[in-house]
Amino acid sequence: MTREISVELQKVSKLYGQDKVVNEVSLSVEKGEIFVLIGPSGCGKTTTLKMINQLIPHTSGNILVNGTDVAELDVVELRRSIGYVIQYIGLLPHLTIQENIAFVLKLTKQSKKLQKEKAEELIETVGLDFSHLNRYPRELSGGQQQRVGVARALAANPDILLMDEPFGAVDPLTREQLQNELLRLQESIQKTIVFVTHDMQEAFKVGNRIGILRQGELVTLGTPMEIVKSDDEFVKNFIGQGALFEVFDTIPVTRVLEKSVPLVRIHEKVDLQAEELKDWENVFVVEPDGNCKGYIPLSDLNKDGSFAAEQIEPLPKASSPDISVKLAVQEMLWGGRTWLPIVDESTGFKGIVLFRSCAALVAENGR
Amino acid sequence: MELLASAWAYFLNRQDLMFEVLKEHVTLVLWATFFTVIIGVPVGIAISRTEKLRNTILGSVSILYTIPILALFGFLIPIMGIGSTPALIALVIYGLLPVIRNSCVGIIQVHPQLKESARGMGANDLQLLFKVEIPLAFPVIFAGIRTALVMNFSLATYAVFIGAGGMGRIIMQGIRTFNTGMMLAGILMVVITTVLLERMVGVVDNRIQKRYSLSD
Ligand SMILES: Nc1ncnc2c1ncn2[C@@H]1O[C@H](COP(=O)(O)OP(=O)(O)OP(=O)(O)O)[C@@H](O)[C@H]1O
Ligand SMILES: [Mg+2]
Repeated sequence: MTREISVELQKVSKLYGQDKVVNEVSLSVEKGEIFVLIGPSGCGKTTTLKMINQLIPHTSGNILVNGTDVAELDVVELRRSIGYVIQYIGLLPHLTIQENIAFVLKLTKQSKKLQKEKAEELIETVGLDFSHLNRYPRELSGGQQQRVGVARALAANPDILLMDEPFGAVDPLTREQLQNELLRLQESIQKTIVFVTHDMQEAFKVGNRIGILRQGELVTLGTPMEIVKSDDEFVKNFIGQGALFEVFDTIPVTRVLEKSVPLVRIHEKVDLQAEELKDWENVFVVEPDGNCKGYIPLSDLNKDGSFAAEQIEPLPKASSPDISVKLAVQEMLWGGRTWLPIVDESTGFKGIVLFRSCAALVAENGR
Repeated sequence: MELLASAWAYFLNRQDLMFEVLKEHVTLVLWATFFTVIIGVPVGIAISRTEKLRNTILGSVSILYTIPILALFGFLIPIMGIGSTPALIALVIYGLLPVIRNSCVGIIQVHPQLKESARGMGANDLQLLFKVEIPLAFPVIFAGIRTALVMNFSLATYAVFIGAGGMGRIIMQGIRTFNTGMMLAGILMVVITTVLLERMVGVVDNRIQKRYSLSD
């Protein structure tokens, strides 16, 4: 299936005098994805981003937004149709939070009523309280201001958002929280987001696809897993050695949960002929309520598949289904086992994660 | 003490005259400040955009500013005669420097990130000026207007020399007629009203500064 393209750069360059700060960059951002631009300081990320809403005019090449060349569009209209969030937030200090959020609507002369309604709706969307609406930006924390920045970018209901290091100015904890909120929000709003960062971990976490820039040139473009597997020396150096684990950290363990785990009830026999036994060394013993009591190595079973209750080995320390693949792998390594039981605190036994399935993630592409 | 008493007596006797000169004074100053703002703010904003013009204009306004007021009257009388018009013009000329300079500086120091984010949201040039730049520069612009107003209020005492009345009239008349009570009443009135005005604008200014103070 070919996906709709929201933003397309065709051999776009930017020259300052003789300096080519962006050099023939071509890329397309699919509708509904978070596309991350990353690279060392000064590589041209911000310039590339600002060319999309024409805050910086490009020198050559074509930029298409929703299929139309930006050269044919009125810049003011273009910018009003694209949300823009910057690192320094840029909330206007003389306006209340409500006025800040509704700023675009004010520019387009929407009614006061609509401005108010939209601000009330969006302040909730970004997880802030109504009471913040009448405050001034200086009365909010950095993280709260950043949320308002996101709300403001959403006010005109654009389907494209440009974000330039939006979480760069907040502490690591808040940053992580904001990243999670962005991902959660994105599930419901499904915007096309071009996201600039210089934090690789952030890129892996929020990016559906990542483009790496170096001195104005696009070096690599791909899913986080493709990026991790790149052979390019620059990319390898740039993303660092722990990159694979960083990607694993962004994949929920539920993705690698085994679909069929060989289960048996106490006092029942194991069907040794069963298809699902293939590739397994253990059978898992479940109680009638679905809880897992323990396991039995296949080799310990009697010829007819029966076993005695004393043969059941207790389940090793289980993990919660909320963890990432990275944590799961760590747990297995610590426990010296190639498998890990996953148990939900309230609903009980979820299943088993196998080391080989985690490893297989690297072979398979994408997220 | 006796002097003060005579000044007070004069004041009580001639309240009508005191009121009249105060009215002349205030009217002159308000008109002067009005024209200073009408001319100074747009010029200040205009020169914030072009560096070339900026230095020329600020330079010439500064030179005008250093001319002693009596010398300025000397220039103006041959051209315009006497009366409130040349007095008004003189005051406007003095008020221009703080207003133009502060308007220019106020606009220049609006954070580029703020302007950029507003432009990124689709503000056009006019919207950027009126919804972002001027409001954000307002405290600085107002500080310039405050300086011009208070300065004009005290300078307007000289307006009497060019026949434009004002509180200077009482002082001059007191000197001319050797009426120390009258002279002192005039001086005290000038001092007290100037201090009062300064205080009042100060309070307004403080409010504005607080209201607009930036978060970083
Ligand atoms: N107005 C300008 N004139 C000349 N050179 C410029 C101008 N603006 C940016 N540059 C140069 O263009 C290059 C790319 O700048 P850009 O802001 O896009 O970098 P960046 O990747 O966003 O960096 P950072 O991570 O530090 O934000 C830099 O080398 C910068 O010095
Ligand atoms: Mg940048």
